Amino acid sequence: MSLMTMIVKMSEGLGKTCAIFFLTLLFSLPLGMIVALLRMSKVKVVSAVTRFIITVLRGTPLMLQLLAVTYGPYYLFGATVARNKLIPVVIAFSINYAAYFAEIYRGGIESIPIGQYEAAEVLGYTKVQTFMRIILPQVIKRIMPSVTNEVVTLVKDTSMAFTVSYQEMFTIGKQIANSQTSFTPFLVAGVFYYVFNVVVDYVMGRIEKRLDYYR
Amino acid sequence: MMNANNTTNADAPILSIRNLQKSFDSLHVLEDISLSVERGNVVSIIGPSGSGKSTLLRCASFLEHADGGDILYDGQYALKNGVYAHRSELNRFRTRFGLVFQNFQLFPHYSVLRNISEAPILHGEDKAEVLERAMELLKKMGLDGKEKSYPFQLSGGQQQRVAIARALCMRPEILYFDEPTSALDPELTGEVLKVIRQLADEKMTMVVVTHEMPFAKAVSNRVIFMAGGVIVEQGDPKEVFENPREERTRQFLRVFER
Repeated sequence: MSLMTMIVKMSEGLGKTCAIFFLTLLFSLPLGMIVALLRMSKVKVVSAVTRFIITVLRGTPLMLQLLAVTYGPYYLFGATVARNKLIPVVIAFSINYAAYFAEIYRGGIESIPIGQYEAAEVLGYTKVQTFMRIILPQVIKRIMPSVTNEVVTLVKDTSMAFTVSYQEMFTIGKQIANSQTSFTPFLVAGVFYYVFNVVVDYVMGRIEKRLDYYR
Repeated sequence: MMNANNTTNADAPILSIRNLQKSFDSLHVLEDISLSVERGNVVSIIGPSGSGKSTLLRCASFLEHADGGDILYDGQYALKNGVYAHRSELNRFRTRFGLVFQNFQLFPHYSVLRNISEAPILHGEDKAEVLERAMELLKKMGLDGKEKSYPFQLSGGQQQRVAIARALCMRPEILYFDEPTSALDPELTGEVLKVIRQLADEKMTMVVVTHEMPFAKAVSNRVIFMAGGVIVEQGDPKEVFENPREERTRQFLRVFER
């Protein structure tokens, strides 16, 4: 098989790679905020349970979580395995990344001086107004470098979907590599991920720059 | 926004505090504090650090939860016998006072103008009116042309004057200052004190926690000396500074004479 054919075949999986990437961000970024707020809850049980869940999600391999979400329902309840694997893949990725984002958000929220809350309170801002207008914008600026790190990692982690045979770019490449006993598909995959992340870096850099108007 | 509770009661002091108590765990920060502030008066609170001056202001502005006593604004109870009024009532009381913090606490992501104007606009005031008022306040604070700047582009003294404008834009009936110049380089304190002095001349009601003794003496109608969570002495500034009755006051003031 020629290099060109490999590239074309693997490109056909790029749409699915992008689907995992964008859907995961779409769900995990807001979900992470909910998890962060639960983690910081004043109700001890809520924060303890959330904390435990976060440690499990961060302390076990994403690959295992993928397998559990995809095949767990079958082994536990005899449910049929989802025909479109994108669904369990995105669920597993979103939950896993939400745990990481939650800890980043928490760090960001806790780094805002208490005086900012007090100033807003004296000026009559409601709790929601204080969070949405005063705290969150400052948090977003502070956490951008950590979020960029996670997003870059996510690009590469999409390859993990091969464990449940979801036909994204890396899974196709691996199949070609096996059938052709060739290492070339992995090199192609490497270039794809690298180019993807160059774009991610550029976009995130632009966002950080836009937040540069204040210190 | 005017409402029934914001009508002024000319007879009652704007702020009355009676037998106020506040502890942090076993530490009694405020023990049985009583004071009142009449309209148009400037009251300075002096005393060593840890004496409870800031806590007193923070209780008056509901940032600290007092354990006992009364807080009244215009004769209406915000705190009665250690029990706070309903949250919505407290919100109404909040519109009566403003607070200027030691370290400004401007919102760094907002321009100067937005720092000053956002809160009243959120409260439903006419935007154009608020912006006009904010611009006037900036001018008054000697900050014309700074409305588009961000806090990080300003000196400490300028930031504190923005913070004062922000508090004033809410049109409070009484303004609290919690050591407004303590975070400033010495050469910048003057410009902030000058602004406060100007407000005093305009008969703005103010309570100022400060270590600037000459300023307190010159500006206040009354000086309160606090130590160890109690009011040790209070009275006419000339009396308190030049002829203190209490040994504790003399001891404290001696430090500033050197």
